[in-house]
Amino acid sequence: MTPRRRPRIRPLAAAVLVFLVNATHGALAPGRAAADDVAVVVHPRVPVEDLSLADLRKVLLGDRQFWSSNQRVTLLIRAPVAREREVLLKRVYQMSEAQFRQYWIAKVFRAETAAGPKIVNSNQTATQIAAAVPGAIAFVDAGHVPPGLKVLKINGRLPGQRGYPLQ
Amino acid sequence: MVYSSTGEGTGRNFSLGQLTVQNTSALSPRSFVFVEVTFTSRPDAGTGTPAATGFNAEVERLFFRYDQSDQLKGSVGRYHTPINWWNTAFHHGLWLQTTIARPEMVRFGSQFIPVHFVGALVEGSFPANGLNLNYNVGLGNGRGNVFSRGGDAGDTNANLATLANVFVRPDRLYGLQVGASVYRDKATPAGGGPDVDETIWAAHLVYQKEDPEIIAEYAHATHDAEDGGPSARSEAYYVQFAYRLPGAGHLWKPYYRYEKIRVDEDDPILTATPGLSGNIVGVRYDATELAAIKLEYRDMKRDRGFASTSGVFAQVSFAF
Repeated sequence: MTPRRRPRIRPLAAAVLVFLVNATHGALAPGRAAADDVAVVVHPRVPVEDLSLADLRKVLLGDRQFWSSNQRVTLLIRAPVAREREVLLKRVYQMSEAQFRQYWIAKVFRAETAAGPKIVNSNQTATQIAAAVPGAIAFVDAGHVPPGLKVLKINGRLPGQRGYPLQ
Repeated sequence: MVYSSTGEGTGRNFSLGQLTVQNTSALSPRSFVFVEVTFTSRPDAGTGTPAATGFNAEVERLFFRYDQSDQLKGSVGRYHTPINWWNTAFHHGLWLQTTIARPEMVRFGSQFIPVHFVGALVEGSFPANGLNLNYNVGLGNGRGNVFSRGGDAGDTNANLATLANVFVRPDRLYGLQVGASVYRDKATPAGGGPDVDETIWAAHLVYQKEDPEIIAEYAHATHDAEDGGPSARSEAYYVQFAYRLPGAGHLWKPYYRYEKIRVDEDDPILTATPGLSGNIVGVRYDATELAAIKLEYRDMKRDRGFASTSGVFAQVSFAF
């Protein structure tokens, strides 16, 4: 009986592959997959490719309400307890859940916006709405981004890259 | 609901305070109508002699706004005048503010700041290299014949009031807001006498993270009566500190506020405004996400013959 041959990894090919990935997408953080990150996805017609964390904060705070003069931001945020929401509260809002609720009640109370964010119960709902509504922006597990949506860079980095801020 | 114990006059009281109702109705993706109505308990709200207790209804804010872009939003209606930070940050939301009451310089029914403004506003914001420059520019009716009231039914003279307000919210200091405002008007006294040219300069610095919360505002009012009447310079300011406790104490937020009003004896507009030196120390407890209990001690010393106040106040405020 001929012993079964184990697949052989060619070190040179692997090194070239890693180099190409890093060169085109930035270095992957060791021991961390892109799926650990929260991807910022928008409708394909949103005329933005890259946001700084400060600009993303303005969108999430409702201070920036337009992508362009004819396209309004529609903010989609996961319901409480979802990991995507917790990452946003910690990394971007820097608020507790109670402070977040109070912030949006005050925002509407001041009439600075007609309504707060739309609350979505799953990543699937978030991506479906983001794909259907021009101007929509959603925050989903980076491992569950369906084709047809645009994933924004934050501070010049995509999910999975070293230094990506939403993890 | 407010409970007060001052040891003066009627001494101990419960008061239902104020019910605030508001609604926002989108008319299109770019436009909406906003309305805010309050019902305030008063000892003289009813009819008859003597006046019976009851509730006063008031349309506090009502406006139509059209948003062209982040840089340009226009509206017409009745507002809280955007020349004072507190006036446009908390409006009638007692639950939103840390303390039980507004600072006296911007208290509803007071004279120092014209709290309401009827007219048109243009506002917007620009990135400004991370400074995030915001502006409001307004044209509308000035004070009514009763100076603590807005000109709801029209201006009292041919000169409309103008205002401008600018502030920045730097990206690098998340939570910080710094701004300045100017308000100009010609006011006509109800009891006759010459018109008064009014100019108010104001400035604010606010750091609104909960640990700490810092709010400081200053306003300087110039009132020059025409035809050789009196000229007056008056000023008011307050500084408030609060700190939400960490860890297991996060539901508790102690606070302190010092406020000062200095009124020129000859001021032709601030005739019913006392000079004030006040200290408030208290604590806010967030019993639930939407309800707060506040307990504070006030020591407010007033001059010009107005009664000083010192005592304990408690309030339950909530949103629903």
